[in-house]
Amino acid sequence: MRNILLIIQREYLVRVRTKTFVIFTILMPLLIGAAFILPTRLMTRASPVKHVVIVAADSNIANSMKAELSASHAADEDDITPRETRKLTRADFDVTVETGPTEALRQQLTTRVRSGQLDGFAWIDDDAVTTRKSVYYSRNASDFIEAQLVRRAFRYALNQRQLTGHGFSTAEASNLFGPVSVDTVRVDKQGANQSSGIGSFVLPYFLLIAIYVTVLIYGLYVMRSVIEEKSSRVVEVLLGSVTPMQLMAGKIIGVAAVGLTQIGIWAGAGSLLGTGGFAMASQLLGNNLKDAHMSTLAIVLFPVFFLLGYATYACLYASIGAMCTSDEEAQQLQFPVTLPLIMCIFCAMSVIRDPNTPLAFWLSMFPLTSPIIMYVRVSVSMPPVWQLVLSIAISLASLYVLVWITARIYRVGILMYGKRPTIPEMIKWIRYA
Amino acid sequence: MAFTLELDRVTKTYGSFVAVDHLTFSIPEGEIFGLLGPNGAGKTSSIRMMIGITAPDSGSIHAFGEPLSRLLLDRIGYLPEERGLYKKMGIMENLVFLARLKRLSVREATRRANSWLERLELGRWADSKVEELSKGMQQKVQFIAAVIHDPDFMILDEPFSGLDPASAVVLKDALLDLKKQGKTILFSTHRMDTVERLCDSICLVNQGRSVLLGNLRQIRASYGHSSVQLEYDGNLPLLSDPALVAGYNDFGNYVELRLAHGADPQHLLQLALRTASIRRFEMVEPSLEEIFIDTVESTKTVTSHA
Repeated sequence: MRNILLIIQREYLVRVRTKTFVIFTILMPLLIGAAFILPTRLMTRASPVKHVVIVAADSNIANSMKAELSASHAADEDDITPRETRKLTRADFDVTVETGPTEALRQQLTTRVRSGQLDGFAWIDDDAVTTRKSVYYSRNASDFIEAQLVRRAFRYALNQRQLTGHGFSTAEASNLFGPVSVDTVRVDKQGANQSSGIGSFVLPYFLLIAIYVTVLIYGLYVMRSVIEEKSSRVVEVLLGSVTPMQLMAGKIIGVAAVGLTQIGIWAGAGSLLGTGGFAMASQLLGNNLKDAHMSTLAIVLFPVFFLLGYATYACLYASIGAMCTSDEEAQQLQFPVTLPLIMCIFCAMSVIRDPNTPLAFWLSMFPLTSPIIMYVRVSVSMPPVWQLVLSIAISLASLYVLVWITARIYRVGILMYGKRPTIPEMIKWIRYA
Repeated sequence: MAFTLELDRVTKTYGSFVAVDHLTFSIPEGEIFGLLGPNGAGKTSSIRMMIGITAPDSGSIHAFGEPLSRLLLDRIGYLPEERGLYKKMGIMENLVFLARLKRLSVREATRRANSWLERLELGRWADSKVEELSKGMQQKVQFIAAVIHDPDFMILDEPFSGLDPASAVVLKDALLDLKKQGKTILFSTHRMDTVERLCDSICLVNQGRSVLLGNLRQIRASYGHSSVQLEYDGNLPLLSDPALVAGYNDFGNYVELRLAHGADPQHLLQLALRTASIRRFEMVEPSLEEIFIDTVESTKTVTSHA
């Protein structure tokens, strides 16, 4: 026991104080966050202010267009608005209104556009109201988003004009074009839980990536640690003091402790920054995250499923490490083992969308995918308790077998150098008492 | 006489390959014992069984008079042939960790590590990482790791490899010091000069079997003064005359030959003077190297005929 503790201690301290650990601890949440926030940021990025001039004979038209262009719209689910336009709804327009379209003015504005003082100008002549036709002069004719917005403003102004003509007040008319929204409400056993579509998708996805990355990285740590001891031949010295079983157990537990420490730091920082950080993220994502919340069960089960997944893959990776003499050699072998993990990521999308399909069920029972897929299911909506219990039970049972096999491969493998064993040889290692 | 280590018909096979074949020898307490043999002779396999990393298929190993068990491992120190230290960890950390696995307290481990590092002139490197050290320095650290828990029996596999002559002397003195304290040491090496200087007894293994065993002095005496070392310029056709020379080894600077049975050394000298100018002619006990090569060669022929 003393030996196992010493090995755990060494494994833990050596890893925790590396720069890699510190950097990874800080970077991982940032990276995941960036993966979500950046695309949204890019989509809603405030473009530079556009200076445009609206020239119209009718000042009412020009003014409503100005109002529409200057107003910043909340993104709604209005399908009439083309997607591209919605992306730009935050673009700022600096609009100047000119009445009285004359040829001289047109010349003058054209020159200003050409010289870059102006981004463009809309030309709305007298019969524009009846023909519903206008011209937008722009330096960059391919900027269809800009043109789209101008077109929208033009349509808005014409509609406004017609409605007020029919006795609507300006406010009433504007209201007709106001944004609408449809909230989605998830109904589960506890009752109705308000949560928007994006929020309930983002959180499980976030957790999926977190558990996947930690299982993979810490599993690989074990493999690298085995190879390191093997290739530096420390293992020969160690085996003069400890049994292979103690060495393997100490290593796997030590690395697990590092993983739990890291998750603990993330969780702690998360709950500290929780409110603030979440609010910020929500804002960036357009308020859609505010309803996403983690159930207590999802929080408690994270370390449980991390440990199950980690232990399973740590055994597999430890076996690979014991079979190989160098990192390069191990890289070729590790792919087939990593495959089920990668599969999890691909399947997880459909599991998040519908956590109760047969595919989701079987993946959450199969021991190589269950820790991740079952956890994703839990984070989306609570599966039947018997499924949760069965999944954990299968996982534990397969771990028992896996540890037994790994211990045997490990015991023989760590002292073997040179040629990688063939499968019949490995079976012999396992049977060799 | 008390024996520190006794191997009795120890056999180990890997698949169909017999790595160690009925190996039997005993190391008396307080002796320096040389385990010699060409590459692949089964030395490492034997050593692994002596420290319990692997178990013999048959035969028995006793240490300190008891069947070898894990409990006894704390009294054994092991220096593997290839350096085995954590490269990314500091020297002191490595030593303390390995010493604690041998049941030393942190404090005691640190104290002893410090005093050993001073003694082997590594004091100022205590906090450096292993990978920053030269091979020779790493070898010294490895040596400390093997002796830090003050074992009664040390197994040293090629302890002098990679050491410069000055460091080798420091290490040799440390070893003789340990011997004076009554410790038993097993050397595994190819370096015959070291063995000749340090070892009391040897066991020469080849193809897993013991081919020569016993007290070094007796072994050499049994070969008698039947060898001649010759330094010369010119040609010596007589070397291939079976009536005079039973066998010879050319060491570059000199030739060592074994006289054929009944051959007269004076006659040989006279013949040699006819074809070459002789700078040195010396009757010697056969060197261990000579014995080693001869024995290995002859056992090879035996097995190839069989």
